[in-house]
Amino acid sequence: MTPQDEIESLIARVSMGDRKAFRALYARTGAKLYGVCLRVLSDEAAAEDVLQEVFLRIWNRAGQYRANGYSPMTWLITISRNAAIDRLRRLRAQGGAAPLDAADLIADPGPGPEAQAVASDMARMLDLCLRELPPDRAGMVRGAYLDGLSYAEIAEASGTPLNTVRTWLRRSLMQLRECLSR
Amino acid sequence: MTDPQDTDLSGGWEAMAAEYVLGLLSKDEVRAFERQMATDPDLEQDVAAWTEYFATMTDDLPEVAPPPQVLNRIEQRLFSTPRPSIWRQLMPYLGGAVAAALLAWVVVGTDLLGPTRPHLYADLVADEQGYRLLAHWAPDSQTFMLRRDAGGVPQDAALEIWLIADAGAAPVSVGLMTPDTLTQIPVPEALVPLMTDGATVAISLEPPGGSPTGQPTGPVLALGTLAVRG
Repeated sequence: MTPQDEIESLIARVSMGDRKAFRALYARTGAKLYGVCLRVLSDEAAAEDVLQEVFLRIWNRAGQYRANGYSPMTWLITISRNAAIDRLRRLRAQGGAAPLDAADLIADPGPGPEAQAVASDMARMLDLCLRELPPDRAGMVRGAYLDGLSYAEIAEASGTPLNTVRTWLRRSLMQLRECLSR
Repeated sequence: MTDPQDTDLSGGWEAMAAEYVLGLLSKDEVRAFERQMATDPDLEQDVAAWTEYFATMTDDLPEVAPPPQVLNRIEQRLFSTPRPSIWRQLMPYLGGAVAAALLAWVVVGTDLLGPTRPHLYADLVADEQGYRLLAHWAPDSQTFMLRRDAGGVPQDAALEIWLIADAGAAPVSVGLMTPDTLTQIPVPEALVPLMTDGATVAISLEPPGGSPTGQPTGPVLALGTLAVRG
């Protein structure tokens, strides 16, 4: 059984209410998913809380896995990332999260060559294609995915009207799509 | 903006698929996009592809062991409200001697009742897939029956029946559903003790011939709980 099959079969058992499988799934993936929550939230208490929410969702929604055709880790990571971004945005709205430096985030060039050496084919493809975009656009994509940047925040940071930012980014996303499907 | 085709935004729904995955859409736009996606399999595929690609941005994030209390809290939230048995509920009200006598009676009684164990039934419903099934355990003939009132049997896959004795137990395969409306499975002696009031019956989608691993590998299509019917 590949690690992927193993996680998939754990999810299938969790969907039937198998508590042992649930604990095994937590042991297998909890540290990765906590890493994702921590990266997004940069706050241990909030990340712990979101991780808890994530596993409640996994328990309740395991039966829906497969319906969308994702690989098992992508499914788990997406639930975690989305829950963490939701929390981050709520915290920001209440003034409870660290102030956002969107300009700084957009300027972030992304992972260095060292990280790429072990990257999967898909990760390498995405990275290559992001590099074909203007650097600030690539930074916007990463900032939106990992830091929950909104169009309004990007517009404010770059001093550009929101509609213009959106037109730029959508064009870049289409360019990215074309590059990824080559 | 709810329909990107009506605007001057380039990229239309395709670009919106990426915005959707990145979380850049407003609530109204999300609703409009999901409505569109429900009728457009290509768009659904785009969302799946973006989701896979963007998730790789987390590939090089380090794993960090969460503090142990997190799992405790999760399990408490999910599993901490087991229904106490009727005996445990009554115990504080019963004197020790009476309790002992009653317990002895229960043990003997259960033993005596053994040969006339009750029939058990479970309604298995899954709205999305349209399945409506009735499971029936007949202890006298040791037969497990499954009546299909709605939902089809796929041609290129198997529907496998599982029994989960209690929430901590691994699923045990009872057999495969037949294309007939009524599936009848003679239950081997070893599985008989699992046929209990409160056990879960589940149907999963498996490759032809059933799960290759002995544990469910596909999605669960329907679920229900065995119980006595008056």
